[in-house]
Amino acid sequence: MLKERLIDALGSDAVKTAPEDLAVYAFDAYTDGRLPTAVVLPASTRDVSAVVKVARACGEPIIARGAGTGLCGGAVPIIGGVVISFARMNRILSLDAHNYRAHVQPGLINLDLSNHVASDGLFYAPDPASQKISTIGGNIATNAGGPHCLSYGTTVNHVLALEVVDDRGEVFTTSCDDPGYDLTAALVGSEGTLGIVTSAWVRLMRLPEAVRVWVAAFGDIDAASAAVSAIIAGGIVPTALEMMDAVITQAVEAAFHAGYPTDAAAVLLIENAGFEDDMATCESAIAAIVKEHGALSWRAAHTAEERAALWAGRKGAAGATGRIAPNYYTQDLCVPRSKLPQALRAVEEAASAHRITVGNVFHAGDGNLHPLLMYDKRRRDQVGAVVETGNAILRSAIDLGGTISGEHGVGWEKREAMTRVYSTADLATMARVRDVFDPQRALNPEKIFPSGARCAEVTPP
Amino acid sequence: MRTVAERTAPESVEALSEVLARCDRERRKILIVGGNTLNGMGFPPEQLDVTLLTSGLAAIVAYERSDLTIAAQAGATIQMVGALLAANGQFVPFDAPRPQYATLGGTLAAGWLGPRRHLYGRPRDYVLGSTIVLADGTIARAGGMVVKNVAGYDMSRLYVGSFGTLGVLAQVNLKTLARHPCARVFLAPLPERTRTRACHQLEALAIRPAAAFWIEGFHNAVDGEAGPEGRVVVMLEGSEALLERATRDLRSALGRAGVPETRIVDAGARESFERVIDSYIASLGERSVTYRLYGMPDESERRVLALQELAQRFLLRAESIVDVMNGDIVLRVSDLDAHALGAKIEAFDDALHEGEPQAQVVAGEHPHRVYLRVWGAPPSSIERMRALKARFDPNGTLNPGRFVGGI
Ligand SMILES: Cc1cc2nc3c(=O)[nH]c(=O)nc-3n(C[C@H](O)[C@H](O)[C@H](O)COP(=O)(O)OP(=O)(O)OC[C@H]3O[C@@H](n4cnc5c(N)ncnc54)[C@H](O)[C@@H]3O)c2cc1C
Ligand SMILES: Cc1cc2nc3c(=O)[nH]c(=O)nc-3n(C[C@H](O)[C@H](O)[C@H](O)COP(=O)(O)OP(=O)(O)OC[C@H]3O[C@@H](n4cnc5c(N)ncnc54)[C@H](O)[C@@H]3O)c2cc1C
Repeated sequence: MLKERLIDALGSDAVKTAPEDLAVYAFDAYTDGRLPTAVVLPASTRDVSAVVKVARACGEPIIARGAGTGLCGGAVPIIGGVVISFARMNRILSLDAHNYRAHVQPGLINLDLSNHVASDGLFYAPDPASQKISTIGGNIATNAGGPHCLSYGTTVNHVLALEVVDDRGEVFTTSCDDPGYDLTAALVGSEGTLGIVTSAWVRLMRLPEAVRVWVAAFGDIDAASAAVSAIIAGGIVPTALEMMDAVITQAVEAAFHAGYPTDAAAVLLIENAGFEDDMATCESAIAAIVKEHGALSWRAAHTAEERAALWAGRKGAAGATGRIAPNYYTQDLCVPRSKLPQALRAVEEAASAHRITVGNVFHAGDGNLHPLLMYDKRRRDQVGAVVETGNAILRSAIDLGGTISGEHGVGWEKREAMTRVYSTADLATMARVRDVFDPQRALNPEKIFPSGARCAEVTPP
Repeated sequence: MRTVAERTAPESVEALSEVLARCDRERRKILIVGGNTLNGMGFPPEQLDVTLLTSGLAAIVAYERSDLTIAAQAGATIQMVGALLAANGQFVPFDAPRPQYATLGGTLAAGWLGPRRHLYGRPRDYVLGSTIVLADGTIARAGGMVVKNVAGYDMSRLYVGSFGTLGVLAQVNLKTLARHPCARVFLAPLPERTRTRACHQLEALAIRPAAAFWIEGFHNAVDGEAGPEGRVVVMLEGSEALLERATRDLRSALGRAGVPETRIVDAGARESFERVIDSYIASLGERSVTYRLYGMPDESERRVLALQELAQRFLLRAESIVDVMNGDIVLRVSDLDAHALGAKIEAFDDALHEGEPQAQVVAGEHPHRVYLRVWGAPPSSIERMRALKARFDPNGTLNPGRFVGGI
């Protein structure tokens, strides 16, 4: 019945229902859930709208899906349902270089956009490390960050307007220039629970005139993280300020020969983009702080190739850990930037208490940690230890005034942890927004809100 | 509207919560007042029983200088927060008119987009967290004091620009920017023949100005000198080293466009910039109405000329400010007196909205304002906005009738 009606609406080549075809849609980069009932590959907004109507009529929930690189189970069907894959809606619909904006479909790969507009001297700023594969739609739904978000801001700062299909299959648009409530801001980061994004107008930026990349190496992690806190406290906010520990740099060098020193306990990868006139001052200010904190070395990348190699290593870091252990789990938390040294010490303590190898590769300038916990999925004891380590790390972040996710999202993974940072009233207030956009909880159910949240939604007297 | 309303200024979040819950139960309508500098936007309240002042909630809660974050209560003024940050070499680019009165809460509730946003982003992108009190007294927090946070919906951003119709902001946590930059302002006459090229040159500058205005009329905004010619006001911001090059580039760009003598203001640059901002809300009492329009930079010249022509057809005097970098337009129409304006303004408002359905009224004391399209045409998502209002404030207790579509 569902299958027939979907095929009627979209044609048979756009509808998958065979279990072997559905299997890959049960996963994202975090976990696997149940098989969806069906997967559809719409080619237009109208298709999406039709799918939602059919699915709702058949009582099936709807899960939007980009590239499935999400790290919190966001795109995974927890109770089955119809998965809408945006693989065929991956075009740039229009480019207005003069006014710095592009209208794009949600399935467009993040990096394809920057590559396409480079000849106009422009780029799209949000640059998650997954940008070679993750989609603009997935980035919008998770409010994705990336190394350069330190100075450019996360995805929400770069979305101007959205076209959205709602829970009843109706299309609506929002623009942040509209009078009234900023629905665009509410939709970005809502992980597919408030509407399905079918196209977006995004802001483009001018490519910087000058770019410098530096690498600083440290003998211990504490010194490196203290240097990061000092750089920010000193009022110097470079374009990107990333940190990698020895576990990571060694894996990266083995895989890519990117140019990082392998004998340091931690390295900082620092980029400043902007104007030539400001570079010397910026370099000397950062170099001075780094040296004050006992850096072993300080090096500038001299050519565009060197810079690209360093960045390729950074963005490929997670994948490179395959040499250390068959599996890794990425934790994502954010703490006030002055608390970075304590946060990293807590990570180290939690990992060693559970005898888990941890590698740190993260957006240090934002205080956004990503401990990668290495393990072997086939070993039950290790799986348990990883879960406990992850929880301990989260607890310490909360104790330091931080939050449970800086950029990957809540999804399925962290829904129960929401009660640790928000009160019942806080969550009930969020749920009021859900009530308006998706009263039946048909859009990406079982995500973000803790399982007990429905009772909490009763408005207090 | 009743004339005598109870006034209350709660001094704690709990007290605020009690006031709201009580009024909500008793179906009394509340007008939220911050610095009250924004009396030009929005419809007058439908009914008003209680005036709620945020002046009792004006403390700095936590200033984490080395984290570049600050938490302040909503009644704190823009100037007070700005001064504290400036003393520590930091700033937030909020640009509110009359910052000595304008409050954080009011400015964020108004959600106005200022001229420096193309460079620094929107006010909402500086809000890391918030405490809001809903009409039923619920105290809800969102976000926190970290610069990246995707734990749940971004409620704080939703409250920005909600005009006090979803709840009363009690506290906001902000991200600050380091290194208060040097500023330099350029003033020059802008004869008609140079205009198009000058605006084009400004947009194309490699070092983008922090703000650039093409002003017709609004003489107090610039130099107080009346004259038939337009003016250009440009503010550069950045390090000293950068300003030097930017100054050379700007001078030759304006020179190429044929703009005559340029006056440079260094000491007092910010004041010159703020004079322009203040003039956004300057009304001529009951004999003017000011509109505001958003748009694309490359369309603003054509649009503003059409608007001036339209005003002329109605024999109204038109003055305008074009925000060259963002494409926004401010248009003030006026007549000799309230009566003369009153005779034409509704017809003008109709004609204006035919071509520019989104134009909003932002200043002018005219009694006819209730009949004007104060918020422009309702956006296509208006029904969803109404539903949101109904879910947050089902009894219509907060600022009833003032917002878009009568929300
Ligand atoms: C190696 C690696 C590195 C990463 N680095 C970063 C990083 O630096 N920064 C960062 O933020 N993240 C990072 N991530 C996480 C992930 O890439 C991001 O969360 C990304 O935004 C997900 O995009 P996607 O297209 O893969 O979305 P998916 O995983 O398919 O979906 C993610 C969420 O978005 C929803 N969704 C997708 N499309 C739509 C749509 N059109 N409308 C509504 N909802 C939709 C889904 O339902 C789901 O909830 C990384 C992941 C990996 C594997
Ligand atoms: C560049 C620029 C130009 C501007 N030009 C104009 C203009 O031309 N006309 C204009 O009207 N405005 C303009 N504004 C809007 C500006 O933000 C306000 O004028 C002013 O800053 C509001 O602050 P206030 O404390 O005086 O608020 P008020 O005037 O007291 O209140 C403003 C609105 O917010 C609500 N409010 C106040 N405090 C709270 C709170 N704590 N929680 C929830 N709601 C609250 C009020 O009910 C009211 O609806 C401009 C802003 C900028 C940045």
